[in-house]
Amino acid sequence: MAPIIEMRDIVKIYANGVVANNGINFSVERGEIHALVGENGAGKSTLMKILYGLEQPTEGELLLDGKSVEFKSPHEAIAQGIGMVHQNFMLVPSFTVAENVVLGDEPLGKGGMLDKKQAMQITADLSRQYGLRVDAEATVDSINVGMRQRVEILKTLYRGAQILILDEPTAVLTPQETQELFVAVRALVDQGKTVIFITHKLREVKEISDRVTVMRDGKLIGTQNTSDTTRESLASMMVGREVFLNVNKAPQNRGEKVMEVRNVSYVAETGRVMLRDISFNVFAGEVLGIAGVEGNGQTELVEVLTGLRPAASGDAMVHGKVVTSKTPREVRMAGVSHIPEDRLTNGLALDVSIEENLIVDRYFNPPYRKGVLLERRVVGKLGVDLIRKFGIRTPNGLLPVASLSGGNMQKVIVAREFSSNPAVLIASQPTRGIDVGATEFIRDQLVQKRTDGAAVLLVSADLSEVMSLSDRIIAIYEGEITGVFTEAASVSEEELGLYMLGIKRQSWEEMEAYL
Amino acid sequence: MRKIFANAAVRELLRIVLAVSIALLLGLIVTLLVSEDPWGAYKAFLVGPLTKFNRFGDWIEESITLIFLGLSVAIAFKAKQFSLGAEGQMVLGALVSGSIILFVPIESAFLRITVALLAAMVVGFLWGAIPGYLKAYVNANEIVTTLMLNTIALKLYDYFLTYKIKPEGAGYTASDFLPNAYRVPSFIPKFAGNLYDMFSRQTNITLFLYFMVASILIGWFLMYRTPFGYELRMVGSNIKFARYGGINTKKVIVLAFAISGIFAGLAGAHLAMGIHNKLILNITVGLGFEGIVVATMARNNPLFVPLSGLAYGYLRAGADIMERASDMSREMVLIVQALIILLVTAEGILPVIQQRVGQGSNKGLSKVVDSPAATEGGSHVI
Repeated sequence: MAPIIEMRDIVKIYANGVVANNGINFSVERGEIHALVGENGAGKSTLMKILYGLEQPTEGELLLDGKSVEFKSPHEAIAQGIGMVHQNFMLVPSFTVAENVVLGDEPLGKGGMLDKKQAMQITADLSRQYGLRVDAEATVDSINVGMRQRVEILKTLYRGAQILILDEPTAVLTPQETQELFVAVRALVDQGKTVIFITHKLREVKEISDRVTVMRDGKLIGTQNTSDTTRESLASMMVGREVFLNVNKAPQNRGEKVMEVRNVSYVAETGRVMLRDISFNVFAGEVLGIAGVEGNGQTELVEVLTGLRPAASGDAMVHGKVVTSKTPREVRMAGVSHIPEDRLTNGLALDVSIEENLIVDRYFNPPYRKGVLLERRVVGKLGVDLIRKFGIRTPNGLLPVASLSGGNMQKVIVAREFSSNPAVLIASQPTRGIDVGATEFIRDQLVQKRTDGAAVLLVSADLSEVMSLSDRIIAIYEGEITGVFTEAASVSEEELGLYMLGIKRQSWEEMEAYL
Repeated sequence: MRKIFANAAVRELLRIVLAVSIALLLGLIVTLLVSEDPWGAYKAFLVGPLTKFNRFGDWIEESITLIFLGLSVAIAFKAKQFSLGAEGQMVLGALVSGSIILFVPIESAFLRITVALLAAMVVGFLWGAIPGYLKAYVNANEIVTTLMLNTIALKLYDYFLTYKIKPEGAGYTASDFLPNAYRVPSFIPKFAGNLYDMFSRQTNITLFLYFMVASILIGWFLMYRTPFGYELRMVGSNIKFARYGGINTKKVIVLAFAISGIFAGLAGAHLAMGIHNKLILNITVGLGFEGIVVATMARNNPLFVPLSGLAYGYLRAGADIMERASDMSREMVLIVQALIILLVTAEGILPVIQQRVGQGSNKGLSKVVDSPAATEGGSHVI
């Protein structure tokens, strides 16, 4: 019998040249729980968006029960029995659970009004049939996250979904709610449904899935029966070594200690401890890489070190000067520059010209300012110089940054942050989502900065990037340092992966001397 | 740069002309439906402000106020601060400047007028700084705070006028006329002879015309040629970027409100010292909110504010004349005027929508760049 879903040779190239899926052959058998895993940016969301009709593939074919189909919109996918539960729930908070379940395909009573009683009945029946416990009469804003998720699932079932795509469903759940979800997922499968389960938590893969597909860097690495895998083998498939880009790295010439981080902790507004007693040093002439699965405190660490968040305790110093809990301007004046992980949120003002984006860290100083005036000629000249030096592809510096491609936008940030001659350069996801040419250029520039004597702190979800650029590597897991590796070149990615996933950890005594 | 600027200017001009034309057409349709003599009524509306010298004066005078207000709103809006406080800042500007001319015994007319103008600017600055401070430091919604402060300012004005300024025994609530010696002179110098007589007798177009031109240039210069203007625009474009880059965003927000208040204060001074030459009840007639129309039409660019201010002032003046010169009832005239405002602002919103769409597609594009990464690890908003 043909697999219920077969995706053949799927290629997805976005308009800006980013290859998100590169020749994917993916199939799902009827009645199985199929886990789809990979790091952020591996292409799993894109693949599922294609399946759900949100994106159209550049190339490739989609077969449902062996028949070729083409979805131009989610509407068409839903009509063929495909349902997707997104990470961000799409419910109307002020409506009742029952009203949300039937929304868009309501049972009508007299005079074309919503038949509330029938909606209630439908919801109760579905709830009973699939063991998805909900309170049909409660409004959505009064129920907890776990129940909201069950409402989402009921919604797709009401629309006749045979195949359910769950996009990181456990990310928002407590361990108890996760267990409840797993019970419900198994009940769905017992009744003939098929479930695709996106996650990057390997423990869950082992627990719930029948088969698992690993993606990395837009490619499908392999599909295996879950029983044939171990967490370790999956980790190595997820982060495994890829073809390295050529990075010409001069031998290291490590200098004095430039940045010193002492017992930094950070607690999120929710009360969750995001960083716990982080301590390390960064020396002149080295790249210190931070390896970790995203969401383990890297974002918070970088923002604490650059003045965008206050530290809960502990401090960081640059050349002996405290930079924690200072303003971003003070941190910059201390010689820190920062390539932010989200260039659109922090790094750029999109509707402002390129040259004005290049001066945000220096417009208040001569020669850019003369008295009360901005020296437009000097600003323009800086723009011309940096556009040329960093190969930013644009007709001129007066165009808004929004007119640039992703790679060129990133080059604008890199040009600004590198040209200020920082003592410490903090680069967060410097090459995420940009084309190969720009990636290689930015990596070369980073290494060049380090060879010229800057202290570079590199945070990247791309393990091969961390490994190929860094002189020293720290592994981080759930806001704690789990290991330090002084010879970045000699550690294997499998070994590092075990520390990143918290499976192994070094003791403080082992690490202390090397941090 | 010049070329882009020229194109942008041409585009702005076209946009305003288009908005006004459609508005006029709709107004005509309403007039056709209502009036016994629609052509006469509409002619009064269309060319009325130009038919008599004093009407021409009324148009220019009101436009000057509108342009000050447009500048005020443009500066706050440029920083994406939705300040509705111009009304309150203006009425206090009128109160303070009028009172100084009336009661402060400075001998020299030049000095007294200068002090009055500066005081109007200072009071606008301070009254503007309050909602700015509340927004920046305690995160109070600026729409609420500015509206509340408007009420306070308007009532303060009424109180002082009724109980302190009104001459005893006067049968109406108004101040005395400003003393002749301390009035702001006509914009045409005395030695121009006939021309001076003509303007000074029939209009109140004063030196405020030149203050206005200076304000436009200063506003533009401030916005596009100074470090502060840079900060203002960065905060307006992407406040997170501004903060990341080291800009003191709280300070910029406070100053954006406060500087916006300076121009509103000048608008108030113009009401008291330029148009009415006394303090009267309801002196602002809600003009403060018309500044939003003017600024929106000008896309918050000070250089386009005079254009939109004059056009909008003309429509308002024409509507007034139509009311007086035809059988169109006050209500119908207001409907025509409201239709025009609707269209003019809608036309102002139209390009904003297009811009949003443009930004949207850019965002779409950039989201695409980041989507493989960003969507999976994104936050979980429910």
